[in-house]
Amino acid sequence: MDADSDVALDILITNVVCVFRTRCHLNLRKIALEGANVIYKRDVGKVLMKLRKPRITATIWSSGKVICTGATSEEEAKFGARRLARCLQKLGFQVIFTDFKVVNVLAVCNMPFEIRLPEFTKNNRPHASYEPELHPAVCYRIKTLRATLQIFSTGSITVTG
Amino acid sequence: EVAYSQSTGQKEQLSRCVLRGIRRVQDLCKVLRLPSVFEGTAVSYLQRALQHPSFRLVSVEKKELLGGCCVLATCRQHNWPLTMGTICSLLYAKQELVASVLLSVQKELGISMPALGLADLVKTHLNGFQLFRHAEDIPAPFVEDEEKLLARTMQVVELASETWLVTGRHPVPVVTAAAFLAWQSLQPAARLACTLARFCKVAGIDLPPPAHLRLKELHEILLRMASQLAWLRVFKLDKKTVVKHIGDLLQHRIFLLKNAFCVEDVEEQQGAAQGEASPAAAGAAQEEGQPSKGKGDPEGSRGPLLPPCLLRPRKRLRTAALSASEAAITGDEPISDSEIEQYLRGPEEVRAFRRAKAWQ
Repeated sequence: MDADSDVALDILITNVVCVFRTRCHLNLRKIALEGANVIYKRDVGKVLMKLRKPRITATIWSSGKVICTGATSEEEAKFGARRLARCLQKLGFQVIFTDFKVVNVLAVCNMPFEIRLPEFTKNNRPHASYEPELHPAVCYRIKTLRATLQIFSTGSITVTG
Repeated sequence: EVAYSQSTGQKEQLSRCVLRGIRRVQDLCKVLRLPSVFEGTAVSYLQRALQHPSFRLVSVEKKELLGGCCVLATCRQHNWPLTMGTICSLLYAKQELVASVLLSVQKELGISMPALGLADLVKTHLNGFQLFRHAEDIPAPFVEDEEKLLARTMQVVELASETWLVTGRHPVPVVTAAAFLAWQSLQPAARLACTLARFCKVAGIDLPPPAHLRLKELHEILLRMASQLAWLRVFKLDKKTVVKHIGDLLQHRIFLLKNAFCVEDVEEQQGAAQGEASPAAAGAAQEEGQPSKGKGDPEGSRGPLLPPCLLRPRKRLRTAALSASEAAITGDEPISDSEIEQYLRGPEEVRAFRRAKAWQ
């Protein structure tokens, strides 16, 4: 691939993780009884609630902390989180939607060429780490962005952070 | 005046945990016959790790693995070919746990670990073979000269590395498959009937499960290369008979790899075949046309040299691209009650659920 050639790359966001707080205690048994699409994990003290639109899964703790995963954009994540807060309000809790924060975004991208991982690792120390006995991809950390890239020999790259 | 702690040497005493860890590191270094310098480095890493806040409160199981991980890190820094599998078997530990402790040690202590050198790994792996001396349980035709086997195996491993069979894969199955092919090729008449499993049993090594797949891939590469060698084209080679000619294939591998996996020639031939309407050209186009359908069928027809996972890609479920309405979401849209009602149970449903006690 020439340095001058301009190739458009599709970067697809596959998952956005966000958190928010409800500023009130949540009765997990009540949510499990009166909420639909709910899984109650009594042993670990949390409830999983799934929404259809947007397609997200929320993990709800009795302290009022909620983690939402599965959205494909930050806006969708916020919309899903607000919908969930509204569900909890309808169930009778005094929910205040606060401290919303996107904590992780997972994206996938495909390079139009294959990558020789041992040589790539040698040329990119100390950012790159390659352990073929553990994982087939190179783990490349960018400290300034707090991002981690998993680079596969097929040219597929997964970015998290 | 002398303080009580100085007279009794309290501060010089190491805790039981540290002493146990140091003893384990020393035992591992003795078993693996490592140079004495390695022991000092590994012990210093262990002491640093046990004093680090991240490892002070970990489980006893993880503390026992710290010694092995420090030895592994030391070996890597000195380019000593020691695999994680060896450490796992010596410590009777699961690979996942050893891996997690090793990565934590690397991160918390800031130790840089170079990648495992394949050439050194081949030498160490072959050192463990029991094929180099005559023995009662080893048939005479199976005994081989160590230097010859090592040289041939290195060449096969280099070939595997050039043809995308090594990158992203566990190295030991590749080395095992390469050693098997090299061993067969040195005396094919007596050894072609021997399977990979029997070879590993005779050599006294474990058979790693992916070795069969690596062997199959190596056979495919060799067959593609053999199709470009003039004096082999007259023979109908298969995965057994191609082994006899590995010596020739390795000698001319640069030329053969270029010819066997050249994409430009295939495209030119397809273009020429489409331009001409003659039956001969049509026949050639049919034969060469297969690669145009995808990344190429590796058996018989040409195609680009790609990692095997690209030649036979697995079906991936990808999320569909956002539609226009979904792309317009801002996150602050109003939410109607009807949208929320679908996620709440009605009163009758709640009563039925409570009766069934299904939610407890």
